[in-house]
Amino acid sequence: MNEQDEALKQLLQRAAPGPTDRELKRDLWPEMRQRLDRPPVQIPWGDWALAATLLLCLLLFPETIPAVLYLL
Amino acid sequence: MTGIVEAELERFTRGDIQAFEALFREYQGEVYGWIIRIVHDSGAAEDLTIETFWRIYRARARFDPCRSFGAWARRIATNLALEHLSRRRLERSLDNGFPIRAPGTGTPDPAIAADVCTKVLAAFDELPAKLRVTARLAMIEERPYAEIADALGISTNGVKSRVFRATRLLRKSLEKRGVRP
Repeated sequence: MNEQDEALKQLLQRAAPGPTDRELKRDLWPEMRQRLDRPPVQIPWGDWALAATLLLCLLLFPETIPAVLYLL
Repeated sequence: MTGIVEAELERFTRGDIQAFEALFREYQGEVYGWIIRIVHDSGAAEDLTIETFWRIYRARARFDPCRSFGAWARRIATNLALEHLSRRRLERSLDNGFPIRAPGTGTPDPAIAADVCTKVLAAFDELPAKLRVTARLAMIEERPYAEIADALGISTNGVKSRVFRATRLLRKSLEKRGVRP
């Protein structure tokens, strides 16, 4: 690192110092445990049916793809 | 550094929740400490620590117990922190685009004029997220290049190249703002 780079580094360290406190203040395990116990997101069957219908329409009428993309 | 033995890592890869808890308790402080270096926000660092371990748990079958768990965790944490920074930048640009000092960030040296500080922060904030994180870890935190390379999933030469690009961009941006380091 040359002198100019060193000067820039020092300016950065003085103007934008890192966080003063880097210690974790509490145990995060209870939150982690909650996250693990949360039931996985289930997609309702109606949404699957809708997605399948849309896919079928796109396969049968591919000329509508640009219009659908435009609307998205 | 760690009291985790290979047998415990082995059990973790098979989905043993007690082994995962032991790993979590052993590494949560280290992962948090790494993330806060990047995001400079204690609340976000806690959330990202949990998200990191959640991803670790979901990907447990892919983990090789012979490799370093800490390095793997750091890499996942770095990717999440990068995503967080990009999201925060987008939100800020939708807001007013001005850099905001995150809570918990150290106080700037009083010998530096406030406007110089603002200009340096603004210039630093303009860097692309990947360059910003590399520059922060290498130039502000002074972490070893090998450690940064490992966390970012790139080579040491890749880190050097990013630091070089960040330095060049920063200098240009600061010169435009009338600051000559």
